[in-house]
Amino acid sequence: MKNRVRELRGARDWSQAALAGLLGVSRQTVNAIEVGRYDPSLPLAFRIARVFGLTIEEIFEDAGE
Amino acid sequence: MRPLTYLRDFTLGLLAYAAALFLSNHLLGGDGLDQPWRTAVALLPMLPACGICALVMHHVRRMDELQRRVQVEALALAFAGTALITFSYGFLEGSGFPRLSMFTVWPLMAALWVGALLLVGRRYA
Repeated sequence: MKNRVRELRGARDWSQAALAGLLGVSRQTVNAIEVGRYDPSLPLAFRIARVFGLTIEEIFEDAGE
Repeated sequence: MRPLTYLRDFTLGLLAYAAALFLSNHLLGGDGLDQPWRTAVALLPMLPACGICALVMHHVRRMDELQRRVQVEALALAFAGTALITFSYGFLEGSGFPRLSMFTVWPLMAALWVGALLLVGRRYA
């Protein structure tokens, strides 16, 4: 799933480790989400949205089926 | 659990296991032990081994969702691989291959688990 996590993280000048700390996950998980290799669970998606102050739809692009 | 804390506790567990194994072998090597004490002493290393298992479970429960997914996939691969290899060798024993100790199963599963972790981990990197 395409997302803007890397763009939003970069705009705030946060490292992957720093974002991982805010989300309570590992740096590897943040990287996997950013490169689209892993789609977060709903609770994690909500935490990501909360950290960036945006809605889930503003961060994650629904490719549609 | 922080990685260094986990590593420290895991190392202490291994040291306890090694010490229990050494003590067990030393006591069993003598003539002074009768049953049921011989059985109890033979199983002595399993006490710290149970502690190590509890530590690993605690660590797994604190993993994040992606780390757990990687572990589940890796364990599934290791489980299947161990089943295939041990059963294959069981059939080979029936055709004359030398019998192997039960001690060979866990190192096989551990090696497959480590290999599978590397393989599965790469899918998400």
